[in-house]
Amino acid sequence: MKPPPFTYCDPESVDEAVALKSEYGNDSLVLAGGQSLLPLLNMRLARPEALIDINKIGDLQKIERRVGILEVGAGVRQYELEDHPLVGELVPLLPEATGYIGHIENRHRGTVGGSLAHADSAAELPCTAVALDATVVVQGPSGTRTIAAQDFFQGWMTTALEPEEVLVAIRYPVTPWTAGHGFVEVARRVGDLALAGAAAVVNLDEDGRFTSVSVGVLGISDTTVRASAVESALIGEAPTEENIARAAKEIVPSVTSEDDLHATRAYRRHLASVVVSRAITAAVARARERSNGK
Amino acid sequence: MTTSTAAKYGIARRTVTMRVNGRDVTREVSTRTTLADFLRDELDLVSVHLGCEHGVCGCCNVLFDGHSVRSCLMLAVQGDGHTVETVESLSVDPTELHPIQESFAEEQGLQCGFCTPAMVLRTKEIIETGREMTDAEVRHEISGILCRCTGYQNIVNAVQSAGAKLRGEATADGAAGGRS
Amino acid sequence: MTTEHTDTAQKPGYKYIGKDRKRVEDPRLLVGRGGYIADLRLPGMLHAAILRSPVPHAWIRSVDATEALRLPGVVAVLTGEDCKAKMNPCMNFGPATVAQYPLAVDKVRYVGEAVAAVVAESRYLAEDGVDLLEVDYEDLPPVTDPMAAMEPESAVLHEEHGSNIGCERTFEFGDVNAAFAGADLVVEDTLHWGRSAGMPMETTGAVAQPGFNGVLEIYCNSLNFSYFAFLIAGALRLPSNKLTMKPVPAGGSFGSKLAAHKVPTLAGFLALRVGRPVSYVEDRIDHIVNSDHHGCDRYYEARMGFRADGTIVGLDIDVVDDYGAYMQFGVGHHGNAFSQVVGPYRFRDVRYRLRAVLTDKCQQGAYRGFGSEVHNWVLERLVDSGAARLGLAPEEIRRRNFIQPDQFPYTIPGGNVYDSGDYPAVLDKALSMIDLDRWRAEQKRLWAEEGRCIGIGLATTQERSVFSSTEFWSLVEKPVLPVTSSPESATVTIDPTGQFQLLLHCQSMWGNSPETVGATVLAEEFGIPPESVNVRYADSAHALPSTGPGGSRYTVMVAGAIRGASRKLRRKLIQIAAHTLEVAAEDLELVDARVQVTDAPETGLTLAELAGTAYFFALSLPEGTTSGLEESYTYDHPYTTLPAPDGSDFGVFYPIMGHACHIAVLEVDPDTGIPSFLDYVAVHDAGTIVNPRSLGGHVTGGATQGIGTTLYEELAYDEDGQFLSSTFRDYLIPTAGEVPAFRIGHVETPSPFTEYGIKGGGEGGRMVAPAAVSAAIDDALREYGMRVRQLPVKPSDIVAAVQAGAGRAEAG
Repeated sequence: MKPPPFTYCDPESVDEAVALKSEYGNDSLVLAGGQSLLPLLNMRLARPEALIDINKIGDLQKIERRVGILEVGAGVRQYELEDHPLVGELVPLLPEATGYIGHIENRHRGTVGGSLAHADSAAELPCTAVALDATVVVQGPSGTRTIAAQDFFQGWMTTALEPEEVLVAIRYPVTPWTAGHGFVEVARRVGDLALAGAAAVVNLDEDGRFTSVSVGVLGISDTTVRASAVESALIGEAPTEENIARAAKEIVPSVTSEDDLHATRAYRRHLASVVVSRAITAAVARARERSNGK
Repeated sequence: MTTSTAAKYGIARRTVTMRVNGRDVTREVSTRTTLADFLRDELDLVSVHLGCEHGVCGCCNVLFDGHSVRSCLMLAVQGDGHTVETVESLSVDPTELHPIQESFAEEQGLQCGFCTPAMVLRTKEIIETGREMTDAEVRHEISGILCRCTGYQNIVNAVQSAGAKLRGEATADGAAGGRS
Repeated sequence: MTTEHTDTAQKPGYKYIGKDRKRVEDPRLLVGRGGYIADLRLPGMLHAAILRSPVPHAWIRSVDATEALRLPGVVAVLTGEDCKAKMNPCMNFGPATVAQYPLAVDKVRYVGEAVAAVVAESRYLAEDGVDLLEVDYEDLPPVTDPMAAMEPESAVLHEEHGSNIGCERTFEFGDVNAAFAGADLVVEDTLHWGRSAGMPMETTGAVAQPGFNGVLEIYCNSLNFSYFAFLIAGALRLPSNKLTMKPVPAGGSFGSKLAAHKVPTLAGFLALRVGRPVSYVEDRIDHIVNSDHHGCDRYYEARMGFRADGTIVGLDIDVVDDYGAYMQFGVGHHGNAFSQVVGPYRFRDVRYRLRAVLTDKCQQGAYRGFGSEVHNWVLERLVDSGAARLGLAPEEIRRRNFIQPDQFPYTIPGGNVYDSGDYPAVLDKALSMIDLDRWRAEQKRLWAEEGRCIGIGLATTQERSVFSSTEFWSLVEKPVLPVTSSPESATVTIDPTGQFQLLLHCQSMWGNSPETVGATVLAEEFGIPPESVNVRYADSAHALPSTGPGGSRYTVMVAGAIRGASRKLRRKLIQIAAHTLEVAAEDLELVDARVQVTDAPETGLTLAELAGTAYFFALSLPEGTTSGLEESYTYDHPYTTLPAPDGSDFGVFYPIMGHACHIAVLEVDPDTGIPSFLDYVAVHDAGTIVNPRSLGGHVTGGATQGIGTTLYEELAYDEDGQFLSSTFRDYLIPTAGEVPAFRIGHVETPSPFTEYGIKGGGEGGRMVAPAAVSAAIDDALREYGMRVRQLPVKPSDIVAAVQAGAGRAEAG
């Protein structure tokens, strides 16, 4: 189980990486943390002509606070999301969700951009990006452009990234301090790809009713899903157990996964509403804590 | 677009220099050689065990710039300019074990030895966080390394015992630090 | 919570046996020098990679290696055609009409079967060569469902065999119909035990080199080649004295390296063809899809009869065993079931119908329990079912049926003997370690107040140990090779300075503790520090008869061999001392590495002094004594008998009988189907314990594998024969996060038939955990009518059962 031959390129700037992508296009793959790509190479399920290693590009490794925005470079290692004080302060959902990515050994090496570009429907970072209304920043030969996370993830391991483009950063809106967040996922073992999971951010008004609900769901379809029907069913409602459970059922039509080795379709249809309901419940509890000044 | 950008990378072999177990080593390697194979085949660090070569079992874990990583999921060329530690950095002398290795021996936190170097390194990393952990937390922290022999109980004991030892805590019965 | 040793029956007579001591194997392993097969490099060594079949069943029309052979660095490509021309089939204890080669000959019979091997300067280049091979397959209908495979219209795997039924037999002991006619209750169940495997962290590998004098040397991390080497030689068409198997420690086996033969046979074949050393080490996918040793895959229709008071009256088993494409061990797995067919219970009437079926899957081999663990799961499932119907607690129904301590030695239906045991004591010990009343109250409260599902599962197992080779053939109607030997040997040498060398006569290190056991026995016999013993392994050219680890035999057998050799050495030492000290031999004793006068212990000679005399002062030796201090001993099976000639019983073949009781407490989340353990107690009786902590490690390791088989692990084929779990992302070995904090207790009932009374203890953990965990899941979801009938039981299965149960409750 050894990688096939490839041309190894290790550019030191985004411009150079983009130039290489422009030359090789679909015959090249970007190597970020390698936690998904190297297994594919070792099993020879991926056979790129060129491997473009972006680990030497310092510009991709920054975590920065902008106005209303937390910008995370594509090359930031996942564990840094768990440890970095700015991340926990500005977007507290992120460290919590990141802790579910594989094992610590994977997070030490795996990158934020790598996970987003790989676009596994069961992955945590695409799900949180969608739930948080994040924006993906990509750079191509003609400069940079931004793509809303929901538009970025297009299908099974497919993104809006063009063959000559490189993902450079992701911008998360800073979560309002009154908001509550929740993240729940169910996997067969610690660190396994989730059977299903959900990320939720909610805001409650003075009467304790939902003013905003934002839910991303992973593992139930060919891409991460924004649970819009669940959200709209809750706006203006009181966060009671019954209301949440009823609204969570709205996720069921979005479950398109077929039976696989680890779960049946029927199970995922059931589990989707369970994780959605639990994530919202956790988010509500946090929102209440915050509004109580805890 | 010209092919000039790519042209400079058209070399199948590279010279890499990395600091391995405290010493700088320079070797020429094929660019597709994994870090694991490099450590094993070029440097004879055979404590790095290949259990799955797709990043699940953890038997090839090494400390890369101080953090545990799967060395089967890295290329040797990516180690250029970086620091790698394997279990050989603790002790290569079976008669003079490092306290962590000693704790594993005392608690029998190993049977066949194949996951052991990774478990020992992970223990070092856990202890260096300075955080005391419950047994359940230790289980979570070592869950990235599969052991097929022990059922993990004695490994958890070894991690706790080594932690107590290195923090200088006296233990009730010496060896069995984690015992409740 | 951590492991808690509860020792009973202290053995004050022993100084080393029975004590928690560090293992002598560990220091080298801790510094990363385990000496594994992948660490071995020979000058000029080449590497092999194999092409695995992508289709389940097809004729191989051609293999085109033209492009591969053009690749620089590729040395050779070999295929089944080469095997057919230059080899005999691999070792095989099954029907001769089901022949296997290390590379598929003429047709492929499962996804992953090796089709061709590329030998190259590196493994990277060998895999590049594999990529360039072109194979023309002519697809045949896949045979995947064992029931359909038995139908006459099914495609046939082995044309020469003629059907897909490898073996069909019915055995009856007693009269099951009569027993059931008199029963107050007969429970029945349809059960499926899914395929899992030992799956050690290290795969199987071999390095073969053409050596001196035309001898082929094969280094291999397999275990039993002192016993089986001649069979590898036969496959390679070599005179057996021209093949030497070199022992290499294994990074785990659990059965998977017991007589692993395809890998060394292939490496040997390749080395002979290219005339250079060749290394073939399976990668993980090779190992998962193409190893010698997938575990059992069985479908049961099973019935058990009871009287109203809970007394079991009989057992009726109809089992279809999905053996996969080959049957290397015949149906030996069912011989294992017969070694403890009634479990620890007294009933006498048993019927057992077996159909072994060939399908397009990897072959079955050995996995911790070797089939007896499956039988135990079925037995315990039925006992629990009966208990539930009769309103008896699981511990109570077992207690009422146990064979009693005064009944040993006890002959079971089928003829095997249980040597000794105290099953009530094991149960009592387990119950004393866990407060069942508290858990049962807590279970009720949490369900009533919070709707939480707590389950308690209790199960027992017999742990047969020390197989006799009669079990290889006693189930077969016309055995080809009715062997009766399964010996183990040891050579003990005291060198001229008094230091000890222990030579073991097979590769027995796979994570068990052969060196610790050996050193402990020598310490006991001679009063030397165990750590001072140096342990080595003989290659097959130097080995005395040795059967190797397997069937929980090694500790018992090697202890017998070492003690036998030690007695001979002790006798010689005392003779030399008697001669030197001019006292009568019967007035001397060996204490703490010194031979001394019993009544005047200050007069004596150290082992070093005696060794010096033995090696360098021949003229000071008693007459008839030759120089040196080395003795060997071959220990035969301590208690085995021939099967009855009329097939009415199997004889005594697995009599050294351990016992265990596990109690699992877990919570199941009924909304997600995810179980999590709250407590787990495991009490084992493995006779006299050599090293409690090592035994405890086997218990926890085995139980973890049992949990894996029950909840996570699955070697899964779809109905088209495609393999679904070929990587560690899909074959789910439990991590530290899934398994409980085990608490261990020991009961010691020494065997009357073995040295020191030791029994085997390597497999029991895996043999009982599936029954305990299945029972706990049922118990947790009893309100929903949960019944575990198929392993692994997955979250989807649990939620489906919960939903069905909830639906029934609403409808009702």
